[in-house]
Amino acid sequence: METTVPPVFGKEKGYGLHKLALVFYDALFYLSGSDLDRDVLNVKRVICTLGAMILTLCLVLGSIACGKTRVAISTTTSLYDTGLWGVLEPMFEQKYGVDLDILRAGTGIAIEYGKRGDVDAIAVHAKSREQQFVTDGYGIERVPFTYNYYVIVGPVNDPAGIGEMSPEDAFEKLFTDASSRFISRGDDSGTHGKEKTIWAAAGYDYDTQVVGTGAWYVEAGKGMGDTLNMANEIRGYTVSDIGTFLAYQGELDLETVVDEGAILLNVYSVLACNPDNTNSSVNLEMGHNLVIFLTSDEVQKIIGQYGIEEYGRQLFIPCAGNEPTP
Amino acid sequence: MTLLRVENVGQAHNEIEILKGINLSLERGEVFALIGPTGSGKTTLMKLIDLLTKPSLGQIYFDEVDVTDVESDRLAARRRMSLVQQKPIVFSMNVYDNVAIGLKWRGIARDLTKGKVEYVLDLVGMADYAHRDAKTLSGGETQRVALARALVVEPELLLLDEPTANLDPNSVSKIEEVIEHVIKKHKISVFMTTHDMVQGQRLSDTVGVLIAGEMLQMGTPEQIFSAPLNKEVAEFVGIDNILAGMIEKKDGELADVRVASGIISAISHYEVGDDVYALIRPEDITLSLAKDHGSARNLFSGKIFKITMLGSLVHIEVDCGFPLFVVATARSALDMGLVVDTQVFISFKATAIKVIKRWV
Amino acid sequence: MSEIWDGLVKAFQLICTFDTTVMSIAGKSLWISAASCLIATAICVPLGSVIHFNNFKGKRLLISTVQTLWSMPTVAVGLLVFLLVSHSGPLGILELIFKPGAIIFGQVILISPLILGLVISALNGVDKLIPETAVSLGASRLQKAILTIREARYAIVAALIMGFGRAISEVGLSIMVGGNIARYTRTIPTAIALETQRGNIELSIALGIILILIALVINISLHMLQRKRV
Repeated sequence: METTVPPVFGKEKGYGLHKLALVFYDALFYLSGSDLDRDVLNVKRVICTLGAMILTLCLVLGSIACGKTRVAISTTTSLYDTGLWGVLEPMFEQKYGVDLDILRAGTGIAIEYGKRGDVDAIAVHAKSREQQFVTDGYGIERVPFTYNYYVIVGPVNDPAGIGEMSPEDAFEKLFTDASSRFISRGDDSGTHGKEKTIWAAAGYDYDTQVVGTGAWYVEAGKGMGDTLNMANEIRGYTVSDIGTFLAYQGELDLETVVDEGAILLNVYSVLACNPDNTNSSVNLEMGHNLVIFLTSDEVQKIIGQYGIEEYGRQLFIPCAGNEPTP
Repeated sequence: MTLLRVENVGQAHNEIEILKGINLSLERGEVFALIGPTGSGKTTLMKLIDLLTKPSLGQIYFDEVDVTDVESDRLAARRRMSLVQQKPIVFSMNVYDNVAIGLKWRGIARDLTKGKVEYVLDLVGMADYAHRDAKTLSGGETQRVALARALVVEPELLLLDEPTANLDPNSVSKIEEVIEHVIKKHKISVFMTTHDMVQGQRLSDTVGVLIAGEMLQMGTPEQIFSAPLNKEVAEFVGIDNILAGMIEKKDGELADVRVASGIISAISHYEVGDDVYALIRPEDITLSLAKDHGSARNLFSGKIFKITMLGSLVHIEVDCGFPLFVVATARSALDMGLVVDTQVFISFKATAIKVIKRWV
Repeated sequence: MSEIWDGLVKAFQLICTFDTTVMSIAGKSLWISAASCLIATAICVPLGSVIHFNNFKGKRLLISTVQTLWSMPTVAVGLLVFLLVSHSGPLGILELIFKPGAIIFGQVILISPLILGLVISALNGVDKLIPETAVSLGASRLQKAILTIREARYAIVAALIMGFGRAISEVGLSIMVGGNIARYTRTIPTAIALETQRGNIELSIALGIILILIALVINISLHMLQRKRV
């Protein structure tokens, strides 16, 4: 037996829409309404029905994907937090007509994403691991595009007195000095990797002589910003990239203590991921485009000028694909 | 044409036999009352008949179709019956929707539904309650709605499971009135259960007595109440005098039944030497202060040993060598000055005694 | 404490000026969690009904397991889903990773045990006589189930609200499978995580307050919809 459809909205006009509205009406009020007054329309019911229809429309529209291709890259937190990508992203998107998805990740996971084929390119600062990435066939080529220097920062007035020393000597002093404390990133990031290199250069075996040997060496296990905050709190020393430090400097009682030394060189490279090794969904064309983009004269110039206005000094030195010499 | 037939049905649960060897049949237009004490299995049998559960043994036929097993047949048959539960229960909607839902489920159009719902609501006297939230009704009102809900789908078989069990006395009479009215007006086939024998007697064509899972007797109300087949049925239907004895002498149909220290004259077809029970309704016993035969064959004298007030009646227990229960109005008891230890004379006709077999 | 007040002020500012970044993040959060909640409901209400009305071996074990899954840490589910939808994982071809779709997929997995368990609980709370009466009035299995669900509607809506709450406030899963990509998969909780890490405490607090406000509005709307005389 057919259930009659009452002429709620009236005549023939927009009959399809009328039926759709009734579906929403019935669905909404099946649970809370009564058969007795189903035909009774009041303002509340009309609003609810229309509201539900609009919401469903939004939900449906929201799930329809935009036509543009999506290109994903993973980048290290220190590079992301300087805000450089905020400038480069719209430029790239406009030039190539794609949507650029930038994943802010620790160096370790950023490289892992590349190995899994979840991103089309990676932009990190861990030379040996990048070279391994290419050797293992995950990446096409390692292309350095900019560099700067790490700094060793410490409390204002430098209680350990390591200012003006070389990074290796400074580390030695921090190791031997009983009262000074060191905060490490402790998260296998590029910065952490650099720190380990300095320990090795200073003549210490990291795993046996440095890690977990006392309260003087604190493993933060956090990002650069948080690590700086921690160094600030406990008045210790840490290694930081210049970009993050400048961004946080205003709120900290820390200053750059050692900022010269070949070992402090911090090189950022971009590597396009290899679709053959991971899976064919990796967009090699766009990965390649990104490399070209970052090493182009126009962009290199922008990179070189980034930060001058805000911090009064250059944050990045362009190097257009060439390995910088310290 | 037999509407409902139950053949040799048994129901066990966790190795306990709840029902055993149930046989009954119901014709169209018949009203069957199943009576029995609480826990005798009435609700279990009701659920089997309403096809809510399946019997462990036996078959059930609805309109000559075997509906014991096949689910689709059961659903089809179930749609031709309606049940009113013991506990008044309504859905969380207004009275109109509660009653209309059965029709909605059957796909009946909304304008047709309206007419039907209004009709049954009027029938049960709840016409003004359509907009009320059903959960706010009293027990009696709820049960009336439940009845309306069951009737609106025009069932071929109406099932009533102790419909007045959980109600106050006022509601009970109101519901009984409604049920009687509906039965008389629409000649519906009804299967009802009750522990109230008067209700069963009043409303039904056939009575079945279910005690401890077995159908001990089935027949017209008169048969059950005046001629119970055995002690359990007799006890249940309220015959207070059940005297164990043996037939000593027989003269045609007239039997002398020795009961303890006395002889009762009764009409019986049993033979000398048979062990029997003599059943006498308290209402059939006359109590007086003077030795007065009247036409009664049985006359005993005895002493009152207990008097119990029961509303406007008085229950008197007399010791005549064997205990006898007598009923009198409070008025007459007062007039006669009946108290404990009063010497009285008991008389009752031979025809008032029902003799039934006693198993020793 | 002054940070909380500053946060409140900033929240007010951001809302009143319809700050686009915040609006987009809030809208994203709402849309993703609403979709997850709706999908989970569509799965769990019928499923809960089937489990409730049928007796089968291991039913109690199943329900216990479902309830145990209520305490799944979001990062654990996040890791699991990541391994599934990563391009090197079994569901890689669906191309879900780092898209809102991955978050929705993961959130459905996350909140389904919660909604399922609470739906079963809600149906259990309905007097057994109700479905019995329905059947005796000729309801089919589906009609009986719908009626019982209607009887339990308050408890079921509460279950949905809980599920939605868990979805819209979780971080671990969203970051792992969504990647916290600006304007694409950044939700309020992931934005809070990011901004806190960057030291923008005020903005974080403001976002937190906005999240609470959204939850409040939704709660109130649902309650109003449930009231009897609509």
